[in-house]
Amino acid sequence: MATLAVEPSKWKNLPPPPGFSSTTSSSRTPNKASTKAAASYENLKTKRAWDFAISPAKSLPMQAFMLYMSGGGVQIFSMGIVFMLLSSPFKNLAGINTAFAPFAPASSPPKALSTLALQKVAYLLCNLLTLALGLWKCRSMGLLPTGTGDWLAFETRGQPPDITLL
Amino acid sequence: MRLRHFFLAAALFAQTWALHASEAGVVDWHKPFVGVPAVNVPSTAPSFHRIANFDGSTRSVILTATSSNVLAALDPIAGGVAWRYIFEDDERVIAYRQHSDVVAAVSGAGGATLRLFNSSAGHLIVEKRLHSPEAGRLFEPETLGTSIAFASDADSHDVLVLSNAHIVRRVDSQSREVVWGWTAPDEAALVAYSKLVSTPSAVYAVGLSKSPAAYTLNVAALAPATGEVLATVRIPSSIQNGLADFLVLECAHGDGVPRIVWRDAEDASLRFAALAPGLEGKALAARGAYKMIKDVGLGSHGRFVALKEDGSARVLQLGEAGMAVLWEFAESATSDRYTESFYAGGFDKDGDAYVARVFWSHVHKKASAHIFAAHLANGTGLTVGFTFPFDTATHGIINHVALDAASVADMQVRARLVLTTSTGAVQLWDRDALVWTREEGLTDIRAAEMVELPEPAAAAAHGGEDKSFGERLRRQLADAQGFPQYAAAFARRFVTGAYASVSAPANGSAPLARDAFGFRKIIVVATAHGKLYGLDSAYGSVVWSRVLGLGWAAKIGGDVIPLKVFALRTVADGGDPQVVLVTQRRARNTLMDTVLFHVNALTGEDMRGKSGPDELLEGFDAIAGPLVDTYMLQLDVGRVAVLLDEFAQVHLYPETDETKDAFAKVLPNLHVPLRTGAPGHRRLTGHEFPTELEFTGRYVPQPTWTLTFPPSEDIRALVPRPREPVASLGKVLGNRTTLYKYLNPHLTAVVTEFASAAGARPSRCALYLVDGAKGTVVYHVMLPAAGGKCDVHVTLTENWLVYVYYDPETTGMGTTKGHRVVSVELYEGLGADARTRSSDLSSLSKDTTAIQSFEQAYVLPHGVTAMSTTSTKYGITMKDIIVANNNYQIQSFPRRFLDPRRPKHKPTNQELEEWLIQYDALIPDDPKRVLSHNYRVIGTKHILTSPALLESTSLVFAYGQDLFFTRVAPSGTFDVLSENFNKAQLVFTIAGLALAIVIAKPMVRRKRLREKWYD
Repeated sequence: MATLAVEPSKWKNLPPPPGFSSTTSSSRTPNKASTKAAASYENLKTKRAWDFAISPAKSLPMQAFMLYMSGGGVQIFSMGIVFMLLSSPFKNLAGINTAFAPFAPASSPPKALSTLALQKVAYLLCNLLTLALGLWKCRSMGLLPTGTGDWLAFETRGQPPDITLL
Repeated sequence: MRLRHFFLAAALFAQTWALHASEAGVVDWHKPFVGVPAVNVPSTAPSFHRIANFDGSTRSVILTATSSNVLAALDPIAGGVAWRYIFEDDERVIAYRQHSDVVAAVSGAGGATLRLFNSSAGHLIVEKRLHSPEAGRLFEPETLGTSIAFASDADSHDVLVLSNAHIVRRVDSQSREVVWGWTAPDEAALVAYSKLVSTPSAVYAVGLSKSPAAYTLNVAALAPATGEVLATVRIPSSIQNGLADFLVLECAHGDGVPRIVWRDAEDASLRFAALAPGLEGKALAARGAYKMIKDVGLGSHGRFVALKEDGSARVLQLGEAGMAVLWEFAESATSDRYTESFYAGGFDKDGDAYVARVFWSHVHKKASAHIFAAHLANGTGLTVGFTFPFDTATHGIINHVALDAASVADMQVRARLVLTTSTGAVQLWDRDALVWTREEGLTDIRAAEMVELPEPAAAAAHGGEDKSFGERLRRQLADAQGFPQYAAAFARRFVTGAYASVSAPANGSAPLARDAFGFRKIIVVATAHGKLYGLDSAYGSVVWSRVLGLGWAAKIGGDVIPLKVFALRTVADGGDPQVVLVTQRRARNTLMDTVLFHVNALTGEDMRGKSGPDELLEGFDAIAGPLVDTYMLQLDVGRVAVLLDEFAQVHLYPETDETKDAFAKVLPNLHVPLRTGAPGHRRLTGHEFPTELEFTGRYVPQPTWTLTFPPSEDIRALVPRPREPVASLGKVLGNRTTLYKYLNPHLTAVVTEFASAAGARPSRCALYLVDGAKGTVVYHVMLPAAGGKCDVHVTLTENWLVYVYYDPETTGMGTTKGHRVVSVELYEGLGADARTRSSDLSSLSKDTTAIQSFEQAYVLPHGVTAMSTTSTKYGITMKDIIVANNNYQIQSFPRRFLDPRRPKHKPTNQELEEWLIQYDALIPDDPKRVLSHNYRVIGTKHILTSPALLESTSLVFAYGQDLFFTRVAPSGTFDVLSENFNKAQLVFTIAGLALAIVIAKPMVRRKRLREKWYD
């Protein structure tokens, strides 16, 4: 990115070194070279966008290891990690457009949802993987209300239709 | 592994709830009783006994044998129980006799066992089996044929006992050996001996033999040392009433020659004969005709009371000079101005004899006593009379009188009377002052109910709706007047932490109102002696009591047998709570009526307004005939008592148009299972109600199903499932699936017994769980009948059935006899998560039988005499089993130990999550769970539990003979801050934080302001 920051105008105005013609080359080469550079630059941006899209998946093994280390009990550490796992996908997805804006090709508006759609879908899937890991941990800790026992307290029964005198 | 240990420790820690020493006697109370004195025969009736102390002074006890099968000594000063001895149920105490520091008692059929007690402390000195209970002959009354005498040899403490009406034994009171025994020869077996007299020269057994017209006296004289027969004689006599018409007087204070006196049926005269070892004396006749002779316990002085034909009473004395009339009680002839008199004899410190006549005067509405002392007034005899204000409206009528007297000065007699009344009260009167009353009738409670008290009057002042804005404003202003006090009280409470405490005693001195946690209730109990009591559950004191009137049967006599007490109106309905007592009145002429008594539970006031507060409580004759059964039904208009008469016709109480309409509305959905058929093969028949009235104007249920038992099986008891709130519909397992509880509201347990023939002892028992709406048997088990009786105790609550029985059989290796408790849980459907909604399912659905059950048997450390479960307000708290055991204790068994799902292996993690502990056959006998701690709670037959206002706490009332009340928190008092909660620390922390905020706030504000300059 730092290369992009250099102002081309600064070295464009320098005189050519001795023995180099300035008229012939200066008319064609800079044009060709700049398009090439721009294309590789776009390529680079796409690549970086892909890298960024897959980055949540890359950290999964590390997070899984952390979960393993934090143990199965409901404690402050495991709860903190699980909370992070559960909240970060939503945080990431909420900021998905801003996160991908630097990688946006010059041709499209940087903050639009449609730009880099493929990478964004991949990013979404990877975040879902993180979320799944968090939910799996919740389940293994018994925090997911999946059994009938978790909903028992909300069950109600009416009055019996028959009365027996006993 | 460590995790498991942790869980186990946690599980066990949760169970170490126990009664703290500081709470013993504070949260509970115990009232020891001895039972209603058996006053029908003199050998068991109350009598004074004077015991000499070491320093020469004397003190008295009141000895009595009671209908609760207890021999007891009462302290005449304070009215407490000096000592009591409880006989086994199958061994009736039939006679007692006191002599210096020993009380001898005979019990069992025909006098099977002799026991000697220390008369001051009640220690059992000697117990001697005279014959096996099976060999005992049964007499009517059972005291006939048994007599006790003490050997009159100078330095002997031997006891002479007549048992089975023909065997006399002399028992050494030290070595408890039988010194000698004498059995009446076979040809004399027609003689039933009933009295025994001991003199230094001979022991006389006096009995009757039946001759065609009347009874004839027979006497056998035995040698005191060897038991040889010295002589036997048949005295020509003709006695009509074999029980009451002859007396044997020892005359030990006179010439020492015992005498027999009897009323001869030929000419209604009194005849008497002196007894000498050779039995050669002659019978003599006294002049005058007498109606009756009465033994007043003064045989040692040769005195007795005889009634003349007109009923007037004479004190007679037998001595060397023959028969002498010592006194004739004035105005003692039968009259309609006073009742028939009671005569009692007593001695003073010096052994001088007194005779008392006690009667009730209809004119003065007071009881009177006349005491005659022959030795006073220089030997001419003296009578002192006094009246005493016996409260006949509270204690019924006098049934028995015992006398103790002292001669203060020559012309003064101080008399103490022990009265036994028809309501079962025992009273001691010192002349005309009532010293104490014992309500021994409470040993025979037939129906009991705990009634919630209303809130204190201040909080409940606002009852109805305000009519206008002005009225409301006025009321609110009036209420606001109390605000400063309220605020002050709140501040004080907040600072000092002086809250109501769960372990504090319920305040019994305050006016009758609910306490903070609802621990105080009124226990309304009705006894078989025709009295209704309101007991304060705070201390067990009697708040009010009413004697049940007999209605039209008052003229001919009868008794009122309470069946059930219902709370007709509770505090939730507004106003004072009301109860209705359903009784059956059995008149002397065998007519049965069903009578209802409707009273205010707080005051005992008759809600029907028919009888005043100082009169007998008059009932309402609901049915002219016996009752089949009675139920409490909750209708839209309130609670209604439903009574079914012998034709199964429905009677309602209260029977108004409103209740009738409401009843007609629920009628199509009403089912009732009734016991039908002849006794011996009763069956359970389900009934439904047709919607149209019979021609009698009443609804009559029609049978719809019959549960037929095998022909030799008979219903013994029905134990319905109580209608209690159920907090949780299921049980969550370790894998978070749910077992849904089978909460069929129609469930009832039926205990039956098999008898090979009618009247035979049952050979087996059975227990059924029956759906009362359609007769399906949900659970069935056969149980052994140990000792020929079905001693099965059952409780049923929610989906949990617990029953206790004694298993007398050893079927093989590794099995034992013992008390078993079986815990059964019923769940809906098959397997976890199966759900049939059993609690609101129509009884016609086929799903009502889709159940699975878990059951497990455990060994109980003790036998059980009563069993119940705790009950709480919302049913959230775990339910414990409360039992009264054979050791006279009230004990609680936690549900966790009785869980039928306890695994037989080491519990897995999932099972540990359910807090299941490994199966162990024996339920631990944890002394910390003995609710009655060091009290001996005797004769408990029922345990009544009732919810307090706190969800965690259940009130427990045990009755039978003694009364015991306590409260239990099966899951700990989770809804109250613990006693050692540091209130001061909390207040100081909050105050400190508030102070910190006050100090820090300006500092922070200044800092913020300064920071703004640098931005």
